[in-house]
Amino acid sequence: MFNLDMSKLAGLLSYDPGDPLLFGSSLFLFLFFALLVFYRLFANSKNARILLILFFSLYFYYKASGLFFLLLIFSALFNFYSGKILFNTTGITKRKILLIINVAINLGILGYFKYTNFFLEMISDFQLGTFEPLDILLPIGISFYTFKSMNYVLDIYLEAMEPTKSLRDFSVFVFFFPNILAGPIDRASQFLPQLENDVVLSKEDIGKALLLIMSGLVKKIIIADYLALNFIDRVFDSPLRFTGVENLFALYSYGLQIYCDFSGYSDIAIGIALLLGFKLMDNFNSPYQATSIADFWRRWHISLSTFLLDYLFRPLQMKFRNLKMYGNMIALIITFVLCGFWHGASWMFLFWGLLHGLYMAISLLLQKPKKKLYNRLKLTNTKLLKAGQVFITFHLLILSWVLFKVDNLQSGLDIFNQIFSFFKPAVIPQFIEGYTLTFIILVLGYFIHFLPKSLEVKTAKLLAETHPVLQGVILAVVIWLCAQVQSAELQPFIYFQF
Amino acid sequence: MISERFKKIVCDELELNVEDVEMKDDTIASEVPGWDSLSHVNVITALEKDYNVRFKGIEILKCKNIGDLQKLVDSKLQ
Repeated sequence: MFNLDMSKLAGLLSYDPGDPLLFGSSLFLFLFFALLVFYRLFANSKNARILLILFFSLYFYYKASGLFFLLLIFSALFNFYSGKILFNTTGITKRKILLIINVAINLGILGYFKYTNFFLEMISDFQLGTFEPLDILLPIGISFYTFKSMNYVLDIYLEAMEPTKSLRDFSVFVFFFPNILAGPIDRASQFLPQLENDVVLSKEDIGKALLLIMSGLVKKIIIADYLALNFIDRVFDSPLRFTGVENLFALYSYGLQIYCDFSGYSDIAIGIALLLGFKLMDNFNSPYQATSIADFWRRWHISLSTFLLDYLFRPLQMKFRNLKMYGNMIALIITFVLCGFWHGASWMFLFWGLLHGLYMAISLLLQKPKKKLYNRLKLTNTKLLKAGQVFITFHLLILSWVLFKVDNLQSGLDIFNQIFSFFKPAVIPQFIEGYTLTFIILVLGYFIHFLPKSLEVKTAKLLAETHPVLQGVILAVVIWLCAQVQSAELQPFIYFQF
Repeated sequence: MISERFKKIVCDELELNVEDVEMKDDTIASEVPGWDSLSHVNVITALEKDYNVRFKGIEILKCKNIGDLQKLVDSKLQ
């Protein structure tokens, strides 16, 4: 009996490709609580604390990815020594060659796992042959930790930081479990200095961390998973079985789902990092409040958009600067197509990126005429203009998310066909009656999203002032509530596939 | 030290009043109204044109603040 239990326990704790340690799962909560206890015990020993995080992070990654944790270790070693060699190298050409080798190897590994089958299929289609995909598993989180390691070397190249002397510290940065699977893609220049600090958690930090963890769980389980399982997936699976009303609501719901799924993950990641004394970079800032697509990209997946801005868009922009505005437009389109392709090896992601590139390029073209028009209509800086801009931007985004969700263009066209040719307003009351909870979550979700930021700050402050016992009770109630609403197994986060 | 000429070129490009804008060595581009990632390239080309110099891409990317950019211009003029 005892042996059986031990083997069950070993099974639970060992690598299972379909069962990573999801934030929100009971096993994660248990292990994280144990980690916090030991972390607290080692509060006075920096070495012990760092090693504890290092090994816990490696285990966390092993649980999700098995032997691929060796690849992670290679990435840390390779980029640590690349940074060191680059820093000690003088001469523009030599440094450039070293950087090109580093980027080629990092992207080569990422490309092999992520894009080999995509390109082989493309070549096969071109030759009208049949395609047998190679059996290549994608190591979870590889897109995130590759970019995380790369920004260290890129910043050393740009002389924005000096390399760390400690391989251990750099490894903690690369392995750090809160953000290894789906970001935020933190900057080495911001993370590494924090390893020198003592862990001092202020009341405000604890309040903020708890609020982030709770809002992350609610966003993921109560909003994203509920909407997906009970409504969105049904409509997207067979849009022709539904009227335009359901199709339109499915698009609005998917906009909320993808935001809550991804930002929910980021919130929890930032929250648990904060409980360990680390401040990760912000990743979302009410993105649907954006007044333009450019503004959206300052608010959505900020850690990726700033990475692409600093290391891809800016160099391209400088390269094409003789073409003036057209140079900017070309740089935007290239950056966003690659941004789309980063999300996954499929034409749909490429089209999604291209669409965002076109949005940005066209808005650049319209910048001056728009300014003139707003001045003539006396709309500049008015609330009406802002509301109109938010409304249009939101719908441009909802349109783009279709490409993100569907497997082929035909499915996307089916959805729009239903909306434009089979829209029956009389179905709206039936829809609300049939999908009451979905409708309430949808309306409430967007309502909360559009509340001012100051309210969030006030809530965190209030939570910080609350007695620790009551904080624990509130957290327990939120977890219990999530468990009640959870209609099936916890769904993997959408961004894990990238 | 940011020169008057430098400041005027930037303000003309961004359609700002020179008197309204404060530029110190440690001012970063995003602190200047209108100087964002898209207009950045226009400011750089305006500086190149007025001073009749040519920057390398990497030189621009290394600039962390306006003081660095001014130093880069100065180094090209020497």
